[in-house]
Amino acid sequence: MGRAEPVHVGPLLERLHEVEVGLADDYRLTGERHAVEHDVFHVSHTLAKQCVAHANRLRPMLERYAGGPGDEASEEPSGLADALAGARRKLSEALGRREVPGLLLLRDLTNLFVAVAECELLWTVAGQCAQALRDAELLSLVTICHEETTTQLRWVKTRVKEAAPQVLTVG
Amino acid sequence: MAKDRIGDVWGERTPHGAGTEWPARVDTFLQPGVSEDEVRWVHSTCILCSNGCGMDVAVRDGRMVGVRGQEFDRVNHGRLGPKGLFGWQANRSSDRLTRPLVRRNGDLVETDWDTALDIVVRRTRELLEEAGAGALGFYNTGQLFLEEYYTLSVVAKAGLGTPHLDGNTRLCTATADEALKETFGCDGDPASYSDIEHCDTLFLVGHNVAETQTVLWMRMLDRLHGPDRPRLVVVDPRTTEVAREADVHIALKKGTNVAVLNGILHELLHNGWVDRTWVDAHTVGFDGVATIAERYPPERAGEIAEVDPAVIREAARVIGSAERLLSTCLQGVYQSNQATAAACQVNNINLVRGMIGKPGAGILQMNGQPTAQNTRECGANGDMPGFRNWQNDSHMEELARLWNVDVSVIPRWSPPTHIMQMLRYVETGSIRFLWVIGTNPAVSLPELGRVRSLLAKEDLFLVVSDAFPTETTMLADVVLPAALWGEKTGTFTNADRTVHLSEQAIEPPGEARSDLAILLDYARRMGFADRDGRPLPPWDDPESAFEAWKECSRGRPCDYTGITYERLRGGGIQWPCTEEHPEGTERLYVDGRFPTEPEECEEYGKDFVTGAQNTEAEYRAMNPAGRAVLKAADYVPSHEEPDDEYPLALNTGRTVYHWHTRTKTGRAPQLQEAAPDVWVEVSRADASANGIGEGDLVRVESRRGAVEAPARLVEGRQGAVFLPFHYGSWDTSRDGDPASGSRAANELTMTIWDPASKQPLLKAGAVRITKVGDAPEARRRGEG
Repeated sequence: MGRAEPVHVGPLLERLHEVEVGLADDYRLTGERHAVEHDVFHVSHTLAKQCVAHANRLRPMLERYAGGPGDEASEEPSGLADALAGARRKLSEALGRREVPGLLLLRDLTNLFVAVAECELLWTVAGQCAQALRDAELLSLVTICHEETTTQLRWVKTRVKEAAPQVLTVG
Repeated sequence: MAKDRIGDVWGERTPHGAGTEWPARVDTFLQPGVSEDEVRWVHSTCILCSNGCGMDVAVRDGRMVGVRGQEFDRVNHGRLGPKGLFGWQANRSSDRLTRPLVRRNGDLVETDWDTALDIVVRRTRELLEEAGAGALGFYNTGQLFLEEYYTLSVVAKAGLGTPHLDGNTRLCTATADEALKETFGCDGDPASYSDIEHCDTLFLVGHNVAETQTVLWMRMLDRLHGPDRPRLVVVDPRTTEVAREADVHIALKKGTNVAVLNGILHELLHNGWVDRTWVDAHTVGFDGVATIAERYPPERAGEIAEVDPAVIREAARVIGSAERLLSTCLQGVYQSNQATAAACQVNNINLVRGMIGKPGAGILQMNGQPTAQNTRECGANGDMPGFRNWQNDSHMEELARLWNVDVSVIPRWSPPTHIMQMLRYVETGSIRFLWVIGTNPAVSLPELGRVRSLLAKEDLFLVVSDAFPTETTMLADVVLPAALWGEKTGTFTNADRTVHLSEQAIEPPGEARSDLAILLDYARRMGFADRDGRPLPPWDDPESAFEAWKECSRGRPCDYTGITYERLRGGGIQWPCTEEHPEGTERLYVDGRFPTEPEECEEYGKDFVTGAQNTEAEYRAMNPAGRAVLKAADYVPSHEEPDDEYPLALNTGRTVYHWHTRTKTGRAPQLQEAAPDVWVEVSRADASANGIGEGDLVRVESRRGAVEAPARLVEGRQGAVFLPFHYGSWDTSRDGDPASGSRAANELTMTIWDPASKQPLLKAGAVRITKVGDAPEARRRGEG
C-alpha cells in the first residue's frame, strides 16, 4: 500500500520472542526447583511448552518484520540446562521433603510474576501494532498468545495467593 | 428375595417402555433362620454406593438381622444391590473399635473418652497458641450424615477458623462439583434418575454404572431390554458390562477424554445438530467452544485417542439425532487427565443440543459416595455452606450472621485447602494436627509410600475417628471409636438431589459414638461460642442440626426448608424443597435460567489447564446473567505417558462387590468371598508378549512402588492394565505396619491432581509387568 516500513515492530517482536524463550526457561526452572509442589511442577512444565509454542508461532512474523525467523525454540532444555534441571529436582526432593521451602516458592513465583507481566505487556503492544498495521494474521496470533499469557499471569497470582497466607502467617 | 445376588448382580429384569413407570421389585435379605414376622423394620437408606436406595433395616433383639428395599422410594422402587443386601453385616463384626485408644510408648492402648478428648483438646490449644488455626487440618469422608458435615463445617470454619477442611470426596466428586459450578454457576445436578424412563439416548462417559451403582444400572437395563430401547453411547477404555450393552462404544486410550469429546462436538457443529436459538438465549461462550472444537475433526481426535474416526462420527450421529439425551459421567472422567475440562465438555454437548431441564434430557455428574452431595452442600469438602462463594463478601457475611460470629473468623482469604495441599503442609511441618474422620488415606490416596511417611511424621498429631482398625489408625496418636450407619440418625442426599432419612436401628457397640456426638463434645470442651456467648454450634442432636441446616440453605439453590424428618419417613424428597414447592423439584433449569448471576453463583470460574482463578470482575466481564457458561479446553497429553521403561498405562477402579478400602465389605462374608483378593487385568496381547498366563502371579511396578497380583486376562485395549483399588493391608499386614503386605493400587499411582477441581488423578501413570510365579492349579482353571 506504499506505506513506510514499520521499523520498530521488528525489534518489538524480536524482544517478544526472546522473552517467551526466557520465560520457558523460567517455568522449567521453577518447576524443577519446586518439584515437590506437585501442581507447580506439572503446570510449570505445561506452561514452558506453551511459551515455546508462542515463540515458534512468532517466527513467520519475525521473517515479515525483522528480516529473519530467529532461532527455533525447543521444548527440551539444552544438555547442560537439562543436567542442571535434573540436579535441581533432586535437590528439591532432598530439601523440600524436610525443610520449610515456602518462602523460596513465594520468591520464585514473585519473580515469575514479573517476567510474565512483561511478556503480557509486550503482547498487548503487539496487538495494538497488529491493528495499526491492519495485519490480520499477526492479530489472530497475538489474540491467542495474549489470552494464554493473561491466563499464565492469573495462574501465578492464584498460586501465590494460595501459598502466601499459610507460609507467612503459620510458617 | 435375594437368590444368588452375588452371581446375578442385577437380578431379574422388569422391562418397560419409554415414559412408563419403572416397575417395582422388592429385594430382601434376612439372615438364615429369621422370618419377617419376628423383626421390627426401621426406616433407613443404603449407604454403600452413591445411588441412595430407600431401605428398611430388620432388627431382632437389638441386632440387625437383614434389609429390604423400599417399594415406594423414588430411587430404587424396592431394589437393592449386592453391597446393600449384604454389607450391613459389617456393623456387628467382632473387631469393631469400641473404646478410645491413645498412643503410649509407641503402642495404642485403650482409654476412656475424657482422657482421649482432653488430649485432643490440649494439642489443639497448644497449636492455636503457637501457630494459629492454620496449623490444624481436618480430612473427612463422603459417608457421614448431613448433620455431621454441617457440624464439622461450623467447628472448623467458625469455631477454629481454619481453612484446612477437606473430604475424601476430593477423590470422588470434586470434579462433578467443579464442573457443575463452572457450567451452571452452582453445584446441583440438573437431571433426575426418573429421566432414565423418558430418555431416548444415554451417553455414559467414564461411568461403569453396572459396577459402581448397580441399582441405577438395573433401571437403565430395564429400559435397554424393553420396548423403544434408548440408544446407548459409552466412552470407556475397558470393555465393561456397560460397554457390552452399548450401541456405540468408544474404547479410547486412557487420558484422552477431551480429544474424543471435542471430536464429538466438532461433528455436532459441522452437521448442524445444534439448537442455535436455545444456545443464543440461554448460554454464553459458544464461539470459544466452537473455535476449540474446530481443531478436532474425528480424524485428529481418533488419532489422539487411538480409535477409528468412524466410531466418533457414529457416536456424534446418535447424540446429534437424540430428542431426549441423558448424559452421565463418573470416575473415568473425574480421575483422568483433564478431568474438569472433560466433564464440562459433556455439559457443553447437552447444552448445544438444548438437552436440559426436560423429561429425559439432562445431565448427571454422578457422585462417587453416598453422602458426597451433603459435604458439598455443607462445606466440609472445600466449599462453603449453602453453595456460597468464598470470594463473595456478602455470602460470607450471611454465614457470619447465621452463626452469630464475626465475619473475620471465617477463613475466606484464600480457597479452602484441598487434601493434597494439606498433605504438603504436613510435609513442610506447617500443619501439625490432622483429624481424619471416617476415611482411610493410608490406602486411598495416591503414592502411598509418601502418604504413609507423612502420616507417620513425628511432628504430626494424628487423630482418627473410625469404626474399624485400619491402615490409617495404625499410624494414629488418638483413635476415636465411631458409630456406623444404622447406629445413628441423620439425612443424606444422592446425586439426583434426593434427600433421605436414615434412622438409628440399633445401639453402637461398646463406647462407640456418632461423629455428631464426638464433634459436639469436642466443640464444648474447646468452649467454642458465638458473639453472645452461646455454645457454638448451638444444636445438640441430629434433628436440631438439620433444622439449623435448613436455615443455612434458605434461599440458596439447595433449599431444604420444606423438608422435615417426619416428611422424609414417607420416602426421599428432591431439593430444592420449599413451602412454595413442598413436593421438591424433579429437574433443575426447566426455564433455561441458571444461577450464574454474580450475586448468586458459587464460583467465578477457573482455567481448566492451570487452575487460574477468576476474580469477580473477570466473571462479571463475561456477563453470564442467568445463562449457562460454555467453556472448553484443548487436549493436553497426560503428564506420564507410557515409555520404554514403563510401557503400560495404569488404570485403577472399583469392583462391584467392594466399597473403598473394604473396611465394611471385607467384613461381609458373601462380599468378601466374592472378591477376596486383588488381581490385575491384563489384555491377552500384553499377557502373551510378557509370557503371562491366566492366574500367574504378576509384579506390577511404577516409578513409585510395586504390588503383586494374579493376572486376569481380558479382552480389551493392548497397552493398559487395570487394578482394583480396594485392597490394602489391614487383613494382611504384619506387626501393625501398613506398608507390609500392601496390595494397594495406590502404591503405584502418582501425585498429580486436576488443576481446576484438585481431584487426584488416580487413573494416571505408567507401569511395567513381570511374571513372578506360576498360577496355582485352581486359579488357572478359573476357580480362584
